[in-house]
Amino acid sequence: MPLGRPEGLLSPSSGSAEETRVGERLRRFPVALLLMLTALVCLGEVVLYSAVGGMEQLDATLRQGVRFIVSATVMMVVSVTDGRLFRRYAYVFYGGVLFLLVLVFLAGTVGMGARRWLSLGFMNLQPSEPMKLAIILALARYFHDRAVSKGIGVRDFLVAGVMIAMPMGLILKQPDLGTAILLLGVGGTVVFVAGLSWKAILGLVAMGGSVLPVAWNFLHDYQKKRIFTLFDPEADPLGAGYHIIQSKIAVGSGGLLGKGFMAGSQSRLEFLPERHTDFIFSVLAEEWGFAGAMVLMTLYALVIVRGLVIAASAKDRFGLLVASGVTALFAIQVVVNMGMVIGLLPVVGIPLPLISYGGSSMVTVMLAMGLLAHVSVQSTK
Amino acid sequence: MLDDDRQLFRVDARRRLLVIGGVSGLLMGTIGARLFYLQLLKGGQYHDLAEDNRISLRPISPPRGRILDRSGLVLVENRPDYLLTVIPELTGDLKETLQELQRHLHLTEEEVTDALKQARNQRRFLPLRVRAHLDWDEVSRVETRLYDLPGVSIQIQALRHYPYGNLCSHALGYIGELNENEKKDPENQRMRPGEMIGKSGVERSYEMTLRGVEGVRELEVNAMGREVRELRFTPPTPGRDLSLTIDVELQQVAVDAMVGQTGAVVALDPRNGEVLVMASLPSYDPNEFIRGISGKLWKRLMADDDRPMINKAVQGQYPPGSTFKIATALAALEGRIDPEQRFFCPGGYFRYNHYYHCWRNGGHGSVNLMQAIEQSCDVYFYHVGEILGVDFIDRVARKLGLGQLSGIPLEGEKAGSIPSREWKKAVLGHPWYPGETLVNAIGQGYVTTTPLQLAVMIAAVANGGRLHRPTLVRQDGRPLQEPPKVSPFQHEHLVLLRRGLEQVMHGARGTAHRAKLMFEVQAGGKTGTAQVMRHRRTAEGKIIKSSERRHQDHALFVGYAPLDAPEIAIAVVVEHGGHGGSTAAPISKKIMDYYFARQRGALEEWRHAVGQA
Repeated sequence: MPLGRPEGLLSPSSGSAEETRVGERLRRFPVALLLMLTALVCLGEVVLYSAVGGMEQLDATLRQGVRFIVSATVMMVVSVTDGRLFRRYAYVFYGGVLFLLVLVFLAGTVGMGARRWLSLGFMNLQPSEPMKLAIILALARYFHDRAVSKGIGVRDFLVAGVMIAMPMGLILKQPDLGTAILLLGVGGTVVFVAGLSWKAILGLVAMGGSVLPVAWNFLHDYQKKRIFTLFDPEADPLGAGYHIIQSKIAVGSGGLLGKGFMAGSQSRLEFLPERHTDFIFSVLAEEWGFAGAMVLMTLYALVIVRGLVIAASAKDRFGLLVASGVTALFAIQVVVNMGMVIGLLPVVGIPLPLISYGGSSMVTVMLAMGLLAHVSVQSTK
Repeated sequence: MLDDDRQLFRVDARRRLLVIGGVSGLLMGTIGARLFYLQLLKGGQYHDLAEDNRISLRPISPPRGRILDRSGLVLVENRPDYLLTVIPELTGDLKETLQELQRHLHLTEEEVTDALKQARNQRRFLPLRVRAHLDWDEVSRVETRLYDLPGVSIQIQALRHYPYGNLCSHALGYIGELNENEKKDPENQRMRPGEMIGKSGVERSYEMTLRGVEGVRELEVNAMGREVRELRFTPPTPGRDLSLTIDVELQQVAVDAMVGQTGAVVALDPRNGEVLVMASLPSYDPNEFIRGISGKLWKRLMADDDRPMINKAVQGQYPPGSTFKIATALAALEGRIDPEQRFFCPGGYFRYNHYYHCWRNGGHGSVNLMQAIEQSCDVYFYHVGEILGVDFIDRVARKLGLGQLSGIPLEGEKAGSIPSREWKKAVLGHPWYPGETLVNAIGQGYVTTTPLQLAVMIAAVANGGRLHRPTLVRQDGRPLQEPPKVSPFQHEHLVLLRRGLEQVMHGARGTAHRAKLMFEVQAGGKTGTAQVMRHRRTAEGKIIKSSERRHQDHALFVGYAPLDAPEIAIAVVVEHGGHGGSTAAPISKKIMDYYFARQRGALEEWRHAVGQA
């Protein structure tokens, strides 16, 4: 039975071999991927319930669950949408979000610290979230159109560089170092997969090494402080080093099997900062130990591997690049968040995908997974 | 695209995806290894640390610095405030306890529901804040029943208090609870929700001086997080006191002199830019904000047409009227118009198909610069404007500090506007009409200034052309920022101008001759009467008076004294006050008389004089 698709919205041409009905596409939906994500969210809910504590815990857990169900539905819708739609509107989407970022840059009051939100009256919009997806789509479209077969030329590299640098600069100004680095990582991955020559990569690494000291001067004082305290948290145990020390104690004291559900003394006693958002991993590691952490990491690894496999079997270059970008987005968030919780990376404020409490992060991750599922649906023969 | 090309690309892409997989694996492996190290190898050690980690840090807010006037009188201080708290787990039954309290203290239903809501959101051993600002009677009623009410206690917290009420509210500002936006400022990162922060005025500009550094109580807590004993106490570092340049006695005199009026008064020390008086009327009482302002009062303050929440001294932009002739007169001298040259005033000037009236219907006859300043002849300045052009006057006005921020450390200062051809094109998108130059020359039309700018201008004229950045905070008489050593104006020009301003006060036909100071103190000044709307006139040119207050002219006065060595410069703006000479100049006189009477130890005499007036 034809479910019918909105004709006006999608491509006017119909009946081509590639076009399949929505029902058929739904049958090709990568159920395994959704199951992995569901497992992650379930694990997250258990930790969240413990981390929030008090009267609010049931409320927060339920809200997070509803968010997942809603965004999983969105993921399915994205996965069965006509592929040309994403490609066609990739630049428009990118341009629109970039414009919003400029608005954020202009609309803030002077003298205030971070400027990340646009107040629309009825809601607050944080354009750096959709930008994570917009940069992937725009770069994928660009390299899809260019169809470079013998590696990326200087011109392509520069265009892509500018496309990444513009939103990155605006987000750095907010200041939101975490998201800016995330954009660089995701954009860089897409460019790399598109065929950046190995020589160029070597050159870039060398250049990056020499630019680093200059970039250091552009960091805000509080950002520098975070990096300093990473290497020597004991220097300021009650101030900037407090988060790292407390988090490490929580993780370390978990041991092999952890202290058990709702029994983490570190988390219970409010030693941990932001324990239901950015630092939720330390609650998991304390209460469920090394074993629990390994289960979580295995689930993440499965999603990442699945993402790479989908990328490798993509129907076209656009699909390949979108899938690689999305997988990178997911993987980088996992690695940076965990790295920061266990004291390997500076505290930059990136949430743990599907585990940290929060609506905008959940929506972005699930939309990204929708794109991944979409590429998968398109490729299945 | 060729098929083998596609094939090549696929092979390459797969190789690259493998690299990404490898790098991801490596990073995840590093994290795994680190977890292995922390949890398994060092697990025991961290376990002990966690066991020892029964230390809870409880931050203690520092007392906020006080704010003093220039002679050390306390303008802002902290007072003890009595707070009724209940610790839920110590009560037999929280609801019952609250009902009991309701009987004795007349707690409202809302206060009870709020307390119960708080109880649901926090741990049972933490105190609930039930009611703040208890008076003595309420405190004693609770104290006598403490024995029957386990868990109930009276806590003391510091409450900001403004002893002078609404006297200085605009300069001082007020404080309020940290909001979301302020929390995002890196400066405020360590502040907690509910802490107080400066919202306006000096309280805001000098937040970092006043705030201090928070202290910490390190507590040993048991497994449930309950306090066992105190391990270490790092006392908070109190905020520093701030000595203002404001002279609160003089401020009181100024506000009293403005009784029944709205507008602003600014008095400066022309030697260093110190602000002695900054009054904006009507005013509000910051104490009402501290106790948690009611929605009704806030709405009333915001909706009031007289705009009590605005600091009119720095945010009110008024047409300067004839006080602007100081700039036009200086421009005339700088523009090489001979001060002895005379223009004939028959009561108006017909130009560009329009009759531009002089304020004096009968005209001033033939006047030179001195006479024009003394009698504030509009026609003379129409001619000056026509000869020099708007752009020349604009440049001189800017050198006097008009049309630009004075740089006083107060949030929300307005710049006013000094029009030029370019300005009108850019801001309004219209070309400049020649007639507008005439209107501009007498301080009407597009010219607007703040009272503070007028004070800075007259101070600069008084002190020999040095434009000070006004300051509210004392630094041992030194200016906030050293002004340029060299005056942008020729010395002789300022001397001539000041002679004209002297005539305004002391000449027989001076527009402010009735506002001469006591004790024979010589002063200089200039009156202004700024039209709010175009006057309707009879066929003979007589103004038809409107009876509505909002249609009345603004009354202005700027002045300084003593003539030979100026110590005080004042700008007065009385909204819809009528004439500068009859309304604004006497207000300045009262303030200056007080200033010099106090200096001479003759306050009795001053009171006597004021009493008679």
